[in-house]
Amino acid sequence: MTGARVGSALTDEQAAVRDLVREFAREEVRPGAREADAEGSFPEDVWDGLAELGLTGLTVPEAYGGSDADETTYAVVNEELAHGSLAVATALSVHCLVTSCLAEFATDTQRERWLPEMAEGRPVGAFCLSEPHAGSNPAGMSTTAEHDPDADEYVLNGEKQWITNGSRAGVAVVFAKVDPDDPDSITQFLVPADAAGFEVGPSEEKLGLRASDTTPIAFDDCRVPAANRLTEEGRGLSAALGTLTGGRIGIAAQAVGVAWAALEAATAYAEEREQFGEPLSEIQTIRHKLAEMSTDVAASRLLVREAARRAEAGEDARVAAAQAKYRASEAAMSVANEAVQIHGGYGYTVEYDVERFYRDAKVTEIYEGTTEIQKEVIARGLFDTR
Amino acid sequence: MKVLVTVKEVGEADDDFEIEGTDIASSDLEYDLNEWDDYAIEAAVQLAEAGIAEEVVAVTIGPERAEETIRMALAKGADRAVRVWDDAFEGTFADVSSKVDVFEAVVDEEEPELVLSGVQAADTAFGATGVALAERIGFDHAAVVNDLDLDADAGVANVHRELEGGIEELTEVDLPAVLTVQTGLNEPRYASLRGIRQAQRKEIAATDLADLGLTPADVESTLTLTEMYEPESDSDAELIEGDAGEAAGRLAEVLREKGVGA
Repeated sequence: MTGARVGSALTDEQAAVRDLVREFAREEVRPGAREADAEGSFPEDVWDGLAELGLTGLTVPEAYGGSDADETTYAVVNEELAHGSLAVATALSVHCLVTSCLAEFATDTQRERWLPEMAEGRPVGAFCLSEPHAGSNPAGMSTTAEHDPDADEYVLNGEKQWITNGSRAGVAVVFAKVDPDDPDSITQFLVPADAAGFEVGPSEEKLGLRASDTTPIAFDDCRVPAANRLTEEGRGLSAALGTLTGGRIGIAAQAVGVAWAALEAATAYAEEREQFGEPLSEIQTIRHKLAEMSTDVAASRLLVREAARRAEAGEDARVAAAQAKYRASEAAMSVANEAVQIHGGYGYTVEYDVERFYRDAKVTEIYEGTTEIQKEVIARGLFDTR
Repeated sequence: MKVLVTVKEVGEADDDFEIEGTDIASSDLEYDLNEWDDYAIEAAVQLAEAGIAEEVVAVTIGPERAEETIRMALAKGADRAVRVWDDAFEGTFADVSSKVDVFEAVVDEEEPELVLSGVQAADTAFGATGVALAERIGFDHAAVVNDLDLDADAGVANVHRELEGGIEELTEVDLPAVLTVQTGLNEPRYASLRGIRQAQRKEIAATDLADLGLTPADVESTLTLTEMYEPESDSDAELIEGDAGEAAGRLAEVLREKGVGA
């Protein structure tokens, strides 16, 4: 735990959580990050540690054994954890998205069934929204959930893509249309991974985030009881708006964590590496680069904090979340890029972490709403309020 | 039984630091719970979890700033804390005896059966407070404990003490006792989110000398910090390179030059 106290508007409790996760990320997460990336395997022991700290219950209500964290705490945890490993932070944030949906939409019986165990770390949650042909445009999805009135069950058919925790998950929140011809019929379902017809595909080979477990999931006449329908028919996306906005703030915070990690690595390298008879940190070109990087990180962090504050205050945080996600993910990419540049040839090798930060950073501009989608959300805010 | 754990917030210097007057610049210090005390807290919390300790009380001498660190001990499972501070401590360099004066008064008030204390503090490294306290309050003690098995019914702590040269002493200490805890006694846990939340509601009793029936004269230090400087160090390490034969040859040469086996 560190005692850093500078420039933060966090409450004592939030600061204590930040210090705790910072120490855990430094001691338990970062040391294994390079190997997990190289092997493309998720560090399950780290997940167990997250569970012991209570982080897997971050968005689980206290009544079900979680800590029902506020948005700022959620953002702080995501930033600190991503500073250790983006793959681990991503896995946790998806798990939290699922527990949030269950907390908000599931019946008491289902909450009892799933949330206490998920707060304890397992089963892990997966969030099945994207499809091979429907990424930025979820309304274009083709997965269907047909109601079978005789059995009072829904029958799911279709394919989902880019599912984080795909093979680790024990339970999934799945979006499907109850009427294949009606784009407004998207509905949310709770599907246990051991349901017949729940088929996990092979892991994706990715540029970065390689320790994250990403797979397609297919539904082949996968039946769930009607009680597993989480939202009213047709309310699957709109009902989840608040949860998805909160999730977006978490992803923005993760991007800040990656950018900060890259900045830190570049600063340390600039101090130790000598060229032209002096450390790089004495050369103005490099000093100014680092000054810009540092400002990018700070600005992104403040956008995240502001979005979290709005969400916490019950204000509409959609635009603020989109701005934070857009700005922070671009900062992650540019700061990681400059960090590699400052490392020169060494930065291009796996000997230094910055090449991983660079590969990992790219995905923050893509997932949980691409940069282009974030800009669209922001523009909508501009014109709708004019 | 009640367990009292003495804890201290210590400042750790960054790699590069400035000296201001007789201290390291506060901007170059990061404050944290003294490492040894973390093991002492863990030992106490384990005793509570085993149903042996009914209450774990952390006590510290420190300014208000130290509450953040003390709260971490509460988040890890201590039930409440006592923080002693007084204007009389401002700007002074407390000696062991003044700390013992304070802890003695706290022990009188709390009446613990077991006092756990880190072997030493990472900043001053006196390594004396725990044992000096035991002497003062008339408790048995064991220093540098790296294994603890407490038999509450028999009123005995079976401990291993780490001695120099890798030797361990196995001994029994009758309760009430003071044990000074060595790193490695256990594996200190991380706090949990739930623990952090509970800790916000736990009591940290701010206590001054008058509350303890002491006066500034009682805790007057015999020590004054006169100077703080970074000792100059020369390093003339030679890295011996080459294959085993060459390296052994060069090593033998160096040893002979230094007079070994001459």
